[in-house]
Amino acid sequence: MPEMTEEQRKALEEKIKNMSPEQLAELQKQQCIFCQIISKKIPSKIIHEDEHSLSILDINPAAKGHILILPKIHYAIMPQLPDPLIGHLFIIAQQMSQLQLRSLKVSGTNIFIANGLAAGQRAQHFLIHVIPRKEGDNLLGAEEKLLDKTYQQNIAQAIQGRLNELLGIPNQTPQESLPESLELSSPPPTPSIPAQPEQPLSSPSPLPQTSAQSISPKKIKKPKESSPEESEPSTRPKESVSLDDIANLFK
Amino acid sequence: MKCDYCEIVEQKTNASILYEDSDTLIVVKDMVLTPGQITVIPKQHFTIVEMIPPKLLQKCSLLANKVSIASFDTLGIQGTNIIIQNGLAGGQKVPHVALEIIPRKENDTLPLQWQPKPLSEVDLETTFTALQDELKREHKQQPATPEENSQLQQPSSESTSQPSSKPKESPAPDSYLLKSLKRLP
Repeated sequence: MPEMTEEQRKALEEKIKNMSPEQLAELQKQQCIFCQIISKKIPSKIIHEDEHSLSILDINPAAKGHILILPKIHYAIMPQLPDPLIGHLFIIAQQMSQLQLRSLKVSGTNIFIANGLAAGQRAQHFLIHVIPRKEGDNLLGAEEKLLDKTYQQNIAQAIQGRLNELLGIPNQTPQESLPESLELSSPPPTPSIPAQPEQPLSSPSPLPQTSAQSISPKKIKKPKESSPEESEPSTRPKESVSLDDIANLFK
Repeated sequence: MKCDYCEIVEQKTNASILYEDSDTLIVVKDMVLTPGQITVIPKQHFTIVEMIPPKLLQKCSLLANKVSIASFDTLGIQGTNIIIQNGLAGGQKVPHVALEIIPRKENDTLPLQWQPKPLSEVDLETTFTALQDELKREHKQQPATPEENSQLQQPSSESTSQPSSKPKESPAPDSYLLKSLKRLP
């Protein structure tokens, strides 16, 4: 982006201050290269498109075949996204990862999200990276360290209250009440995107409200029901040879 | 050898548990890239991300977002990464799929950044063709594999055939993956 002079910047700030939210959204759209890709004003290599997302090849990739998954609506950061949309984008990420494994002769992938400049977010349009990985490619190669138990507990303590709040769990009753409250249950077949697309997707309302739509805290299941889910190796999906091979590398 | 995350699920390790329900767990593990890292683990053992039922992955992704927001609000950080390391080559250390939420600070020097490599027009085109060919092949042969996995909730007994057959013919919400496949360019 070209540098602005001090006056230009001031003038722009002034202009932005006086804009209505709609005008602001429009300006954002004009300024955002990914919005222009989504509206096809800028050409791109489209791998997948649906009502809510566009997946394209990154032209400045970390590795050949690096895919970007873009929500069609402009969101700058992940906390603005409605829950059903996040879920949808992850399903697409899963498909794109599978596609890379099957067609690019790679033996791994990373699904990667950067929230904030400090985390390496370079685009002003939220997106998910799906990066093909090869043995020894030296990408994202961070080493794990052993964390001291006390430190571990301090972190848990620091975050627990706020996390409970976000998950809709009352804070005064910590452990026992947790298990049932966040059930994604089967009876309503899917609380996923197409079921209720318009409302949650178009309004970037704050998270606590939207969360109720796909994760219903009212659905309470008996903890016992969890046992069949956890223990059945028979549910292991049949995958193509190549995916099994990748999974089998661990053994 | 027992899977490390299955051991966490069975609560045989020291991981501090932040949240638990019938199919997921949020924990502070002892092996981390950086202090403050939090992990969302599906309880059932799935080795790589392709194997996890889409519905469960959706749920994990929402939990990861909440963890990310909570980290922002409480850990004094300026950013987060949410990462799924998939396959040995993808840096996956434990053969059990999980979502890592990694706190970030300005100049923390975590090597979670990459140097973009501009691709030549030819390279871009061949990669694009390879991906598209595979998409076409998938489209012809079968309705995307992920659907087969969607029998998360009741894998055994009563509803055996119901969840897996449903997405294929009905316009039920489950079939949106199918629908989106049909819309592929």
